[in-house]
Amino acid sequence: MIELNKVSYKNILCDISLSIEKGDYVAIVGPNGGGKSTLLKLILKRLEKDNGNITLFSTPQERFKEYYKIGYVAQNSVQIDTNFPATVEEIIKLGFAYKTSFFTKITPKENQYMEYLMRIFDILDIKKQLIGDLSGGQRQRVMITRALLNQPKLLILDEPNAGIDEASQTTFYTLLKELNKTEKLTIVFVTHDLGRLKEDVNKVFHINKVLS
Amino acid sequence: MEMFEYTFMINALIAGIIIAVLASTFGIFVVVKRYAMLSDTLAHVSLLGVAIGFLLNISTIWSAIIVALSASLIIEYIRNYKAVYSDSILAIFLSSSLALAIIIVSLSNSFNSSLFDYLFGSIVAVSHEDIISILVFATVSLFLIGYHYQKLLLISFDEDLAYTSGINVRFLNLLFVSLVAIMIGLSIKIIGALLIGALMIIPISTAILFKQGFFTTWIIALSMAVFSVIAGLTLSFYVALPSGATIVLLTLILFCLSYIYKKFM
Repeated sequence: MIELNKVSYKNILCDISLSIEKGDYVAIVGPNGGGKSTLLKLILKRLEKDNGNITLFSTPQERFKEYYKIGYVAQNSVQIDTNFPATVEEIIKLGFAYKTSFFTKITPKENQYMEYLMRIFDILDIKKQLIGDLSGGQRQRVMITRALLNQPKLLILDEPNAGIDEASQTTFYTLLKELNKTEKLTIVFVTHDLGRLKEDVNKVFHINKVLS
Repeated sequence: MEMFEYTFMINALIAGIIIAVLASTFGIFVVVKRYAMLSDTLAHVSLLGVAIGFLLNISTIWSAIIVALSASLIIEYIRNYKAVYSDSILAIFLSSSLALAIIIVSLSNSFNSSLFDYLFGSIVAVSHEDIISILVFATVSLFLIGYHYQKLLLISFDEDLAYTSGINVRFLNLLFVSLVAIMIGLSIKIIGALLIGALMIIPISTAILFKQGFFTTWIIALSMAVFSVIAGLTLSFYVALPSGATIVLLTLILFCLSYIYKKFM
């Protein structure tokens, strides 16, 4: 699903090679400032690599266009403009932004799936609230629901648990494990602390650190 | 009513209402993208277009549109290059285009009442042809904004997220600033170059005070802008006030009243 072959970027990442298969639950671990987010940005083409090859869904990254197959939750996704005038529902529907417009609404089936996701992430009751009025944990669940709405084949999470309370984190980890098992969703989870995630993942990549 | 007996008032009302709809539609994206200075900059740049129009003795509306459109494309190009801060690029364009406009006007000795109309707007300046141009542009641009509504909302919410969702952010930003430039070029005759930015920003800022979703915020802003245009033009007719300034002052009064209501009620 994702292949990196000797990928380098400035003096941050050097000769990175890794392989992520369909259905994998992968943790990318490393110290803060070690290049984990840079690696994700290279995969998502927000940064241009200096050397090496990246293959996404068996297609060289240079020719890959189907980014809607990837659900992404950024490191700072909970740090939003609190005055932004949008409800939870409006933000989640942005998961279909690539194919919907003001004139074409989502189908009843897609709406049903959206409500199903909102229910499991416990945000259905707050769907009319403004995104800026939510707590960090609620915002994080909204952003993950948005990322999952399009039923991506791959979910990339960049330190999504930062600033989230302990109880919310436990629910969150349980949900991810379930999605990986039942939906065969490939998950890439970036974190500086593996913690309890080590019980759930089947692969761990260490960035800027010698493998122990 | 007496004012409906005059064709120029009917023309001004039709054009003003269409501009109010356009200003709110573009304004909501401009405000939430924290790009409010764009409208003021393009309005000043369009004045340069008007000055060139006077100098070459060609249609000032078309010269204003062409100059504003060219500037918007250059601004967006430099912004993507990221060598200069976005607000600095806008400040550079705002002051330099105004300086150039003043020099052209002084060289050609064409500073007359017509230019004053472009600065502050004039209700008598709206012709039947202007209405047709504004109507055609409004139809096309509202369709384009509606078609890309969700993508533009995502770009405004989080540009990085839009990039990683496979959305052509650069193309849409370019399309958006181009439409804003054309809208401003078309509007300066009735609202005025110095005031069109306010019509884009103030109703949206007022609507945001009511803490509603994106669509509802747009509807509130649009209603306030349309009300201000109708009330402003009516006042300007009966009390002989400048139309653009009256409209903008009404939007400001609505902002103050809304702020007081939200603060103390």
